[in-house]
Amino acid sequence: MPVRDTATSNGTETTFVRTFPALPLMQQLVNLGKSLRLFVLSVGLGLSVPVSLFAHGVLLDYTQSTGITVQARYDTGQSMAGAQITVYAPDDPARPWLTGVGDAEGRFSFVPDPALPGTWSIQARLAGHGAMVHILLSPEQSEHTPRQQGYTAGQRALMTACVLWGCIGTALYFYRRRIS
Amino acid sequence: MSLFKRRMLHCLLACFLIFPFMAASVQAGILTFYASGEDLATEGFQAPRLSKDGWTLTFSHIFVTLSDITAYQTDPPYDPNQGGPIPGETLASLPGVHTLDLVMSAQDDNRVLIGAVMDAPAGHYNALSWKMTRTTEGILSGYSMVLTGTAEKNGETVPFQLYSKEERTYRCGEYVGDERKGLLSAQGAADLELTFHLDHIFGRADKPADDPMNTEAPGFAPFADNGKKQMLTLQGLHIGHAGEGHCNVEWH
Repeated sequence: MPVRDTATSNGTETTFVRTFPALPLMQQLVNLGKSLRLFVLSVGLGLSVPVSLFAHGVLLDYTQSTGITVQARYDTGQSMAGAQITVYAPDDPARPWLTGVGDAEGRFSFVPDPALPGTWSIQARLAGHGAMVHILLSPEQSEHTPRQQGYTAGQRALMTACVLWGCIGTALYFYRRRIS
Repeated sequence: MSLFKRRMLHCLLACFLIFPFMAASVQAGILTFYASGEDLATEGFQAPRLSKDGWTLTFSHIFVTLSDITAYQTDPPYDPNQGGPIPGETLASLPGVHTLDLVMSAQDDNRVLIGAVMDAPAGHYNALSWKMTRTTEGILSGYSMVLTGTAEKNGETVPFQLYSKEERTYRCGEYVGDERKGLLSAQGAADLELTFHLDHIFGRADKPADDPMNTEAPGFAPFADNGKKQMLTLQGLHIGHAGEGHCNVEWH
């Protein structure tokens, strides 16, 4: 089948027509099979891995999780639009864990690290005024978080040594009494 | 019992008696209290931060008299919007009455040292209270706050001296500012700040006229009376803060 190509050079458009010799029927069937396999593979890849479909396309991923939303507003009820937000985690209350800016309604959302139970403190400030709120994240709320179970190797070695020493001491005590 | 054994027993007894005190001192640190009128006190109200009615203000002195300065460790944290006494079990109090000049005594960071508690229990001091009280000595006797300086507008310069007799107690939650304050580690040091927001008296020209602070502040115009001694009524104005955090006010 002829294939038509177009090229432009120095303002001149040039058309090329490429022709291919006719293939035997068996070879055409083999080529068709290869094309179908390639098509199926392409569809499969398209379903499993994000691929660039368009230039400047936007991909928006999401993860569903439990978070905290704070809303900063003045005591008059007016929203503190664009408030500077600082989040402090319970394990290091002196250093900001997260900083950000509230929206036009003064809202700010974040997901606390469930491995850090305790009091989370969130500070909102704008133009010389600010406030702080404290949220207690109980250990039960983060119990699904995998934690290290059992004892460390050092603790196990110490316990073993203590038990052995107890046995030896007891044996020596009775041995001494028998001699005396 | 031999003499040696008795002496050993006495030494052990003394160690047991001293141990709790030593342990307590190890678990304590230095908590320092500062007062600040911020840069509005030290630099004044300069353009574009004029008073709400357009006056340039320069302060020569801002005297405040403070007492009953106490920091608390509270759990749950104190909410100044709810008001009432601060229910802290662990606290550090600075004794005495302190009259300070927020202008002439200010350091480079606009703060004035009030004093320090050298053996404050370690922990997080997340609440603060103090009383504005009347001075009983000197030329400021009978006043809790005095502001003097000059104001200028449209080429006219007027001196001013404003006096307040009002006594009140401020109760604040945690300090709000660039950094977190009041986190005192064992044998460490921490500080807290009693902050005075002067724009709640004079307003700010660089903020909207309908800003609640501007609608409440009297501005400077009512005091532009060529240097005469005038009384300043602060009731209803929220001058006392912990950094940028508002405080509950009890007027006496």
